Amino acid sequence: MARYAMVIDLEACVGCGACAAACVLENEVPPGHNRLWIRQRELGEFPDLTVEYRPEQCLHCENPPCVPACPTGASYQSDDGLVLIKYERCIACGACIAACPYDARFMNPAGYVDKCTFCEHRVKNGQDPACVETCPTGCRVFGDLDDPESPVRVLLEEAERIDVLRPEMGTSPKLLYVNTPSKRGLAAAEEVEL
Amino acid sequence: MTTFYGIPGAAPFWHWTTLVHFLLVALAGGFSFYTAVLGTKDVESGRRLAGWALLFIILDLFMLWAESPARFRFTHFWLFLSFRPAAAIWWGAWGLAVSALALLLVVLRLGPARTWFGILLVSSTIVLLYPGYALAANAARPLWDHLLLAFFPVTALLLSLALLVAWRGEEALRWLQAVSWISLLLALLYPVALASGGADQMRALALLLRRGLWFGAGTLLILLAALLARKQPALAAACAFAGALLVRSWIVEEGQHSFFAHGF
Repeated sequence: MARYAMVIDLEACVGCGACAAACVLENEVPPGHNRLWIRQRELGEFPDLTVEYRPEQCLHCENPPCVPACPTGASYQSDDGLVLIKYERCIACGACIAACPYDARFMNPAGYVDKCTFCEHRVKNGQDPACVETCPTGCRVFGDLDDPESPVRVLLEEAERIDVLRPEMGTSPKLLYVNTPSKRGLAAAEEVEL
Repeated sequence: MTTFYGIPGAAPFWHWTTLVHFLLVALAGGFSFYTAVLGTKDVESGRRLAGWALLFIILDLFMLWAESPARFRFTHFWLFLSFRPAAAIWWGAWGLAVSALALLLVVLRLGPARTWFGILLVSSTIVLLYPGYALAANAARPLWDHLLLAFFPVTALLLSLALLVAWRGEEALRWLQAVSWISLLLALLYPVALASGGADQMRALALLLRRGLWFGAGTLLILLAALLARKQPALAAACAFAGALLVRSWIVEEGQHSFFAHGF
């Protein structure tokens, strides 16, 4: 079985939002909701400024807190390591939304919880997720972590540093970031302001 | 400065209807527990209260159904047949179902009442415990501290005792004062528990200090309930009910806050 993961090269991401638009179209995401979004953050002080565009979505954790929180088994982990939802079993209680440390889930107005699936319907047909296929800079790479020749493994082996969101949560995410513009990893919560 | 292209799923996922559920499930658990305690001592005393406990369970289940965006699937009880002990709501669903069945058998005078009260004692304890567990299990929501595992069942009993004092006077009064003091102690320990946690808990504490007016007002009302319980039972019961309701609702509502998406 594969162990699917996605790597995002933050130095290559220009924050164009094509991935978010492709996701909405591919998965018919309802208006007002998003399966993926891009966090834009200014780093440094004038004149040494840079901008980090950081796409975020479900991290398909290896240790997902949303799965055990589900009372009906609607949230589950596939053999390929994808964290998915059986919509026909979801009672929309919101327990998985509360459990997710990354705000990756939302209540679909159709009456079930929804989130990124890594475009499972495309992946099982041998295609890349829509966001990966659409990205004009190729900053997103998708593949099998257990396959030494997979582009994901190659990119990770070449990376100087690999970062994940909120490592303190112990979820072992399979959405990984390389080449963070800060060179110090991803933003801590105290650096975030709205 | 942080901005977003697209929206993280950080909007509140539970609304005022959920707060009503948290009240009704507290009354369902509290009344069922009190019924079971009375019933194991004297069957007829327990039976007199059983109808009220059953009514609160029915109201709570109706509220859950009415608020659910998935009303059709919500009625599919077989979805809960798989064993999911890590899911607090799974425990809650079974606790409510078993309590309702035991109470119904007591009310209809079918079978051995003492056995049903024994079963009710266990199932109502689960109903009392599960809301706190459902909140405290979320490591990503620092306002939902582990202290809630104790705070929610105790304040559920306080809410039920407040109603019982209003209806039945002396019988529940002696417990109201004790449970008020315990609730007060836990409410005062809550900020201490947050302060002893990590960076996220410190942010949660700052939010409590900044936006915790209703939490503070509720705590004050619980103090008044504890002080007035002997002299003015009716007023004490009103204070206990309002205080517990305010504190619990504040914690549920504000606890959804996503520090990850919004920071401060």
